[in-house]
This record gives sequence, C-alpha cells and structure tokens, in this order.
Amino acid sequence: MKLTLIIAKRELTSLFCSPIAYLVIGLFALGTSLIFTIHFSPGARAELRGPFTGILWLMIFVVPAISMRVISEEFRSGAIELLMTAPLSDTQVILGKWLGSLAFLATMMIPVVIMWLVLELYGSPDWGPILSGLLGMLLVGGLYLAIGVFASTITQNQVIAFLVAVFIICLLTIALYFLSQADALWRNLRMALDYMNVHERFEDFNKGVVALNNIIYFISGIAVFLFMAVKILESRRWR
Amino acid sequence: MVRGHQGKLTGQRSMIETHNLVKWYGPTLAVDRLSFQIPPGQIVGFLGPNGAGKTTTLRIVTGYMPPTSGRAVVANFNVLTESRAARSRIGYMPEASPLYPEMRIDEYLHFRGKLHGMNRTDRVRRIDELCARCGLDQVRRRVIGHLSKGNRQRVGMVQALLHDPPVIILDEPTSGLDPLQIVQIRHLLEELRQDHTILLSSHTLTEIERVADRIMIIRKGRLVADGTTDELCARARGDARITVVVMANSGVLKTELAKIEGIRQIETTPHDGWCHATVVPANGADVREPILAAVTAQGWRVREIKRREVNLEDYYLQLFRELDE
Repeated sequence: MKLTLIIAKRELTSLFCSPIAYLVIGLFALGTSLIFTIHFSPGARAELRGPFTGILWLMIFVVPAISMRVISEEFRSGAIELLMTAPLSDTQVILGKWLGSLAFLATMMIPVVIMWLVLELYGSPDWGPILSGLLGMLLVGGLYLAIGVFASTITQNQVIAFLVAVFIICLLTIALYFLSQADALWRNLRMALDYMNVHERFEDFNKGVVALNNIIYFISGIAVFLFMAVKILESRRWR
Repeated sequence: MVRGHQGKLTGQRSMIETHNLVKWYGPTLAVDRLSFQIPPGQIVGFLGPNGAGKTTTLRIVTGYMPPTSGRAVVANFNVLTESRAARSRIGYMPEASPLYPEMRIDEYLHFRGKLHGMNRTDRVRRIDELCARCGLDQVRRRVIGHLSKGNRQRVGMVQALLHDPPVIILDEPTSGLDPLQIVQIRHLLEELRQDHTILLSSHTLTEIERVADRIMIIRKGRLVADGTTDELCARARGDARITVVVMANSGVLKTELAKIEGIRQIETTPHDGWCHATVVPANGADVREPILAAVTAQGWRVREIKRREVNLEDYYLQLFRELDE
C-alpha cells in the first residue's frame, strides 16, 4: 500500500508538471462553465442535474487525456525499466498510477464545486443530489481512468492510448444506448445492454440515489480494467 | 554495511549465477545457453559487440524480463520466483539511464529511495554522500530534463547505489562521460570493490581492463571467453611486439634482424628516411637487447626500441577474427 501511494504521489506531481494537464484542466473548466451557463437562468430550478449530465459527456473526451500517458510514456522513455526492476509488484505500479490520476481528476472537479457555490448564492439547492452526483462523477471518472490506464499499457503512443480509451468508453455509453434502442434485438438483451450503460448507472446518482448495485457496477468495472492493465504490463515483460 | 543484507545464506559461493539462460525475441535468439557464476566481491566486465546479448542478459539478471528458459539467481534468490527479494538486493543502472525528465535530481532520488523502503534520515544521508562523491553537488536542484548526458549518467549511478545493494549491475556506465568523469566512476567502483559484487558492461576495453577483476566476452549470446585480463592476454597468440625505429635501409634491416634467434616475424616500413620495424618474437621472448646489439654493430642511428605488451584489445580483436573465420 505504501509503495502504491509513493507511485501515486509521483504520478500526481508529474501530471502537474506537464502542459497536457493544464490544457485538460482549462478545457474542462471551460466546458463545465459553458454547460452551466445554459442551465443557469432565472426561474430555473436550483439543481445541478442538467450540468452534471452535460459534464458526463465532456468526460468521455477529457478523462482519457489524463490517463493516456501514465504507462505509455514510461515505455517510450524507457523509465519503465527502472520501475520494474525496483522491488514493487506490477499491481502496485498500475494501482499507483490509477490513484495518482484519480487525485488529479478530483482537483479538476473544482469548477463543479464553484458552480454549486454560485447556485448557493442565488437560491437554496438541495445538497443531497449534488453530493451524490459528485460521488457518481468520481466513480465514472474512476472507471474511465481505469479504461485509460488499460489503454495506456498496450501502446507506447499516447495518441493511440487516448483514442483506444475514447473508443472503449464510447462502446460503454453511446454504442450501448443505440443497441438498447434497437427493436430487432431480444427484449431482455436490450434491457441488459441498457443496464450496462454508464450514463444509465449515473442517472440514479444524479437523482440523489446512492444505490449499492450502482456502486458495485462501477467498482467492478474499475477492477476489471485495472486487472487487465496489470496482466498486459506483466505480459510485456515477456516480449 | 548492514549484515544479513548480503544474501539468504552465509558463506555462499556466488552472488550472481545463471544456468543455461536462453532468450528468444520471436524468431531471434538473443541469449544462447549462458551460464556463469560470480563470487562475492568480484568486479566483472561484460564485453561483446553490439547485439551480442549483453543488455538482454543484464535485463534477465535484474528481473526486468524473464528468460525463455534457464534461471538466474542473485544473492541466492531466484529472480523469477523470488523476484522482489532479488530486486531489492540489486542496484541497476540501465543503458542511457532513463529517468523522469520533469523531476528534480533530489526529488527523483528521494522517490527511488522510498521505493526501496528507506526512511527519510537514511535517504538524506545517502543522497548527500553519493551526490558529493559523484560530483552532483552543484546541480541537485536542477530538473533532470535539463541535465547534460554525463550528469544524467551520474544520477543513474547514484540511483543504483542509493540503497547500498550487495549486487550492482551497470549497463554501459561510462558511455557519454568525459575522461575526467570516467576516472571518477573508476575510483567509485574501486571503493565499492570491498563489499559489493559488480557486473558491468562496456564497449571501452581500456576502461574494463583497468577496473575489472574478471572479464566475460559474449558473442551471439554465447560465452566465448571468461577469465582475468592476464589470463585472456596470455591466450593471445604472439604476445608482445617490439617496435624498432632506426636509420637504415629496410631490406638490410630485415636481413640483419632475421639473424637474431627467437624472432618469428618482421615487418618493416620506411618513413622519412627512418625505418620502422615491428618484430614479433617467438614464445614471448624479450629480444630487445640482441636487437640493440645488432643495430649498434651496424653503426645505425637508433631512435626507439620499445616492447608493447598484448592488451585486451589485441586479444579481443584476435578472438573475434578467429571466431568469424
């Protein structure tokens, strides 16, 4: 655990040293603010449900930009050799990298907190759905980062890592949405596909419902992708 | 030096051992049934042409990649099955020392120290000590990405020695260093000699010759020579060579020198009125005095009569010429 945190801390500091990180923060802040301004109008309800749904779409493209470099850059520069000959396991490397990126994602959420404060100034929003929405967004972010870390282990090229992550995330959101609407498919299958959609799982959080099944959905998703990342990292030793 | 830090058993015979290591990269054979033992306290130079499998062997021994078959044992820990125990006893400096360019030297070294489980006091003490010894004092606050190649190499070196590992593995430690820095590294290795086992690869034969107790040469993944520098040089055919520079006609010089006993081969080249002759004596005999006697008897002016020992380079070149044939 200690070694994992050491890796996480280094990853976080190093993210703040790279220009990509600031571009990502800027892009995310701009996007969230624009989304917020649409929803922020006189007479509208003092809630963040609308903006949260919009931000969720934004995350499809922003989150993979954080995680694309975590492992691919190590392989490109050769630094992985020193990391993998240090006395720590491949799981610790992957977990540390993921945790570091997650901490970065959390700091990136600051504009969302500011939106909440603005809402607090002009109205009296219900804290429940906002807090559960934030938790939901962190879980979605965690899942997308796990996908990103996985994509980053398969290539030395950051652009490819980014695109692969976006592709997988689109499968889990857009593709599942369309498939679940297809009349030609068996009804139960359509329901199952709809259930697996990340946006569907997030909707409950957005309504203020923190359900155990949704939490398990995200945690098991994160575990699956991180596990695959560890296995790919291990297999790269053999090549 | 901390006790018990050495290895699993006391009184062990070797710190680094490989048994029939084989490594295939797809269809290419990089390491071919390589076996060697390195006893504690030895400095071993690992030589071979580019692509001979040096880096691959070192990567297997450090636990970075597993061999296709065979096994490697470091400090009595199998690098594959007891990988972390073995890795914590190795200080490794890869070729071209790949470091994180965005970090400062100090930050980076603390990070490496933490990975090896060192506490803050130990880290500060070791980093101060090693930076001073490797001449990094002035640049410790600098960002690694802005460093010269030489300084980056030295950070790689400090990083490898940080946790005071009993086994040190260095891949091309002197590449990219200036002559002064090379001497520094050599002194450092000399100091480490007492309680460390060191395996280093290099292209610079003179460097290896000075530092290493023992030399292993590999070619196409196979060990082709293994021994001390003296042993290897003794194996070289023709041993010493004598250079003679006199003011004489080269044909006459050749016939005069041919009269001396114990000379196997003479080559002469005229140069600016002086004649340069290279004499290979048979069985390593020292024929400098008979040559001088013969030359003075002729009344020729003498500029030089010099004997040159066979060095590692002669042996290396000869070995590869023979193997290629």
